[in-house]
Amino acid sequence: MRRKIIRVGSSKGVLLPREVTKAMNWEFGTEVELTIDEEKRDIMLKTLKVNVPMEYEIDDLRQIEEVMEDYADLLEGTDD
Amino acid sequence: MTEEQIRQIKLITYVNWLVTERFSGDQGIRDMQALNTVVSLPGDGTLSCILGERLSNRKDLYAQLGWFVYYIIEGEPFYGKNRTTVLLMLLWVLKYYRLEFDADQIADFIKTLDPLKHGNSDIALWFSGHCR
Repeated sequence: MRRKIIRVGSSKGVLLPREVTKAMNWEFGTEVELTIDEEKRDIMLKTLKVNVPMEYEIDDLRQIEEVMEDYADLLEGTDD
Repeated sequence: MTEEQIRQIKLITYVNWLVTERFSGDQGIRDMQALNTVVSLPGDGTLSCILGERLSNRKDLYAQLGWFVYYIIEGEPFYGKNRTTVLLMLLWVLKYYRLEFDADQIADFIKTLDPLKHGNSDIALWFSGHCR
């Protein structure tokens, strides 16, 4: 797919075709990540991922207690 | 109500109990229907960012957090410490998704959030602009 670099204000940009945004389920406000491979002179645009927790089970409720103690000063008074 | 939603309700209720014990506050569920709404997202969705599927993109995560924050603050399902419950859940989720965030900014946002002025989509957008 070929696209031209266009002017966007004082920056340069590329318009994403509808079929691309539709296929990627990208809407206005979707965060994407641009990576550059300088050696190959390639760029890649990907949906921004989150780091998925490894341990995230109901047995790990102690994690919540730890977070509560870490942020106790901040949490206290939140509902005042 | 699915097994997953029941587990999510148990977790949120546990967090509310935890903060009422730690910081003193009225305990118990005030409105079960309001609590059901918190874990019942549109299109038969659930609050799967906690105790459900592992979300892998930020858009879905922020959309779910926006829903969670809005419906707890608007519906006040617990007798006390609704906003503290929201804040602790958020800090836990964001920390365990290893996102960068400013806890003070999030606390201010939760403390001052007016559900009459901001909907769940506005809240999701706020997360998008304040977490990395």
